[in-house]
Amino acid sequence: MAGKMKRHLLFWAFVGPLVFAFFVVVVMPFLWGIYYSFTEWNGIVRSQVEWVGLRNYIDLFDDEQFIYSFWFTARFAVVSVILINGIGFALALMVTQPLRSSNALRTVFFMPNLIGGLILGFVWQFIFIQVFAALAEFLHLEFLNGWLSTPETGFWGLVILMTWQMAGYTMVIYIAALQSIPGELLEAAEIDGSTLWSKTRHIIIPLVAPAFTINMFLMLSNAFKLYDQNLSLTNGGPFNSTQMLAMNIYNTAFQFDKMGYAQAKAVIFFMVVATVSIIQVRMNKRREVEY
Amino acid sequence: MNSKKSIALLVALIVMCIPALWAGGAQEAEEAGTDEKVKVDIFQFKVEFKDQFTELANEYMQENPNVDLSIKTVGGGDDYGAALRSRFASGEEPAIFNVGGPQDVADWLQFLAPLNELEVTEKAFDGVLGGVTMDGNVYGLPYNQEGYGLIYNKEMLSQAGIDPAGITSFAKLEGAVKKLDSMKDELGLEAVIAFPAKETWVTGLHLSNAVLSQEFDNVNEAFNADSVEYKYSRGFQKLVDLQNDYSVQPTLSLDYSQQVEQLFAGEKVALIQQGNWAYGSIAGVNSDLAGKIGFIPLSVEGGVGDSIPVGVPMYWGVNKQLEEDVVAEAKKFLNWMYTSETGKRYVLEEFKFIPAYEGYDVSKVSDPLARDILDFSARGKTLPWVFMGYPTGWGQNVLGIDIQKYVADKMSWEELIAHTTEEWESARQ
Amino acid sequence: MTGKKRFILFLEVIGITVGIVFFFPFYIMLINSFKTKPQIFQNTLNLPGGLEWSNYAEAFERLDFMQAFANSLFITVGSIVLLILFASMAGWKLVRTKTPLSSLIFFMFVSAILIPFQSVMLPLITIMGKIGFLNRLGLIFMYLGFGSSLSLFLYHGFVKSVPKELDEAAIIDGCSEFQLFRKVIFPILNPITLTVIILLTIWIWNDYLLPSLVINKEGMQTIPLQMFFFFGEYTKQWHLALAGLTLAIIPVIIFYFSAQKYIIRGVTQGAIK
Repeated sequence: MAGKMKRHLLFWAFVGPLVFAFFVVVVMPFLWGIYYSFTEWNGIVRSQVEWVGLRNYIDLFDDEQFIYSFWFTARFAVVSVILINGIGFALALMVTQPLRSSNALRTVFFMPNLIGGLILGFVWQFIFIQVFAALAEFLHLEFLNGWLSTPETGFWGLVILMTWQMAGYTMVIYIAALQSIPGELLEAAEIDGSTLWSKTRHIIIPLVAPAFTINMFLMLSNAFKLYDQNLSLTNGGPFNSTQMLAMNIYNTAFQFDKMGYAQAKAVIFFMVVATVSIIQVRMNKRREVEY
Repeated sequence: MNSKKSIALLVALIVMCIPALWAGGAQEAEEAGTDEKVKVDIFQFKVEFKDQFTELANEYMQENPNVDLSIKTVGGGDDYGAALRSRFASGEEPAIFNVGGPQDVADWLQFLAPLNELEVTEKAFDGVLGGVTMDGNVYGLPYNQEGYGLIYNKEMLSQAGIDPAGITSFAKLEGAVKKLDSMKDELGLEAVIAFPAKETWVTGLHLSNAVLSQEFDNVNEAFNADSVEYKYSRGFQKLVDLQNDYSVQPTLSLDYSQQVEQLFAGEKVALIQQGNWAYGSIAGVNSDLAGKIGFIPLSVEGGVGDSIPVGVPMYWGVNKQLEEDVVAEAKKFLNWMYTSETGKRYVLEEFKFIPAYEGYDVSKVSDPLARDILDFSARGKTLPWVFMGYPTGWGQNVLGIDIQKYVADKMSWEELIAHTTEEWESARQ
Repeated sequence: MTGKKRFILFLEVIGITVGIVFFFPFYIMLINSFKTKPQIFQNTLNLPGGLEWSNYAEAFERLDFMQAFANSLFITVGSIVLLILFASMAGWKLVRTKTPLSSLIFFMFVSAILIPFQSVMLPLITIMGKIGFLNRLGLIFMYLGFGSSLSLFLYHGFVKSVPKELDEAAIIDGCSEFQLFRKVIFPILNPITLTVIILLTIWIWNDYLLPSLVINKEGMQTIPLQMFFFFGEYTKQWHLALAGLTLAIIPVIIFYFSAQKYIIRGVTQGAIK
């Protein structure tokens, strides 16, 4: 009996502090937010909070912009996750080779991640509009003109920005994974006559698979939650064609002053993204090799 | 990394943090040791004047050592409404904050103190308090007055032989624009106009106001209206088309900075729709040009063609739910700011505001745009600002967005009118 | 040249080319930070005519840089130390305890990564306001809460590759749980600890929205908060903002560049064991 008690106490001694902070800072507000999703409220303290039951939830299925934002965000997430991971992995492979410029390259590739999202968006806005226009004149490449003024260029502008910013982030995680592959395995394979490509396919990729899972999960959730860069790069424009989910939710709350409705959207958003992520992680876990 | 090194690193980091803790600690000590001081927290939105405002507050505190004024400005790109709600939610309610018009007053009514008894309230010009008066109680004090129209480059217009004072109707405006367009090369223009369709406040709030202020007599009428008639729908459309067709393209990604600082101040366009607040931006890039600009009205076909909208962009409100002495001191400060000699000097010369109150020597107003506004006002050629009475979010997020769609040929004008009317009506149910 | 050497050279060339492409935005930022405002509009791509150091001086002053830097440092270091400590402990314990409760807890943490900040913003501030736990210390506590998901996720994944036999061997040798963790487990976690530190630093150092809502007192602003004063309602003071941005990034770059070496060293040491 004492042993069991002790084990429980030890468990909570180790896990407790984190759980406490998590609970107060994340769980409680989230649950409270769910309560608000059943109400109509303008966000001001001590103002009237009116219970409206499921009305917010029913309304959002008719909300064209919300549904559009959902699909736009999903499209964006898929495209950027593939690009970010593909490029991030390639970069990790490259800088873990014995190159002289490895260290410098690692820093350069990671540097984009050092700038906060909001400012990054402003900087890239400047680049897409002004710099591209200057380049268009200089190089006579018409397609560089008018970026961010159409939905397509807005979409790809966001993708380019995120890929630039996050490839280094995934690279860091892939490097950690690559470096934990025992050298002997790779040497043995080389002695057996493997080429780089076959080494990659049969040894590296399976052993790095957990990193794939992690990165894909992180990038997917990151893409779905994107707000700062969306705001500063396109502000959802033109005509809300690049408005992603987080912005739609934020605008509902703070520009239309509909807190309850926004919370309902947030709950649905959470549920859908959680489902997608669980599916994604389950699928990837099957391919992992635990060493 | 061996443990000695990591300990050394940790110690180094902690040492570097000492200045931070020192500052924090000093502040706590100051607050603890001086709790006879009345603390007035000001939570405001105007980034552009915050340094001068802080100076003014310091002068006030020297004259009134029992008061501690603390100014918090909401950083640019941020949403004042969201920040204000968060501030109140956190329990740290400010004593002085900002409200924009009837909607804000209705939302924050339980917090707003009536300000009728103050001297400054009596000195306010007729009409500026309309948007913040409810049931006879005045709940806000104007920051300043602002006005907008088409800012024009004097030299270019004179070169083209256009007399700005003669533009009193849409037909004349259109004629002038076409004339400038035909002389693009001589004047060195990329285009006549720079139309920032990206900035939904310019299109959805200001441009629409130039038209809708001829339909709603004042902001309260707009606020109480169940629907919008669009009496001058054609005129509105023509203004959008005129600006968009003769503008540097693409307009959907054209923002304030490109419009004002790059194109107009760079003398690549001759006309831009903006207000007197743009003076600082223009002067910052081309101080020479900044002395040679003025306003042309946004003439509405079939409607008023010779006036510019002048109004109050933002008001100060006082939180009545705090302690009595805090509320009293807050009112006293605001009153002082706009009626005392020191305060008035700051308002005119440091903040460069157009005063919304009597008792100012307006000959001291220096920049040409502000002078033009005073001139239009003196001649009675102004229209009110009614967009603060639009349904919440309607101006920018419905109308502004639809104008973007219209400009991109994704929506016809009829659809725009129908959709925005529908949204107004459903918001007002 | 042997096939391998040629390949390495080929990679170097590709690497440097890609590196240049990645660096291009920084080049734009850097050269424009030395121009005056009008110059930035006139020619964006070219190198500046003269070096406008006054941008940096002005940015430094307006940002109240030393104070803001100290605040950012205090918050970042404080949050990271707590997160590393508690997340590693929790990660290890959760992996070693194979009960439904343990899985449930882990699942909750991980699913919280999907919660967008905007939807918990107001309730969070209300709760923290009521407790009176705001400003810098409250902010650290909030980062502990928000960062817990990601940190735990990373630690959890990594701990799974630490063999259980190690734990058992240490216990046989007479270690208590705490000693076991401190002396045996935590050092092994170095590579992931460093990764976590880097990722957390980037996030917390640059964070804007949360501090803007929580920091109310004078003199406690972080660097991002101060930077936002260069962006007005509609104007952007690019010449100052770019200079300020460069100033703000330098410490982080130095940090990352030096931490780089430790990753390699940490992993190599781990391999030698």
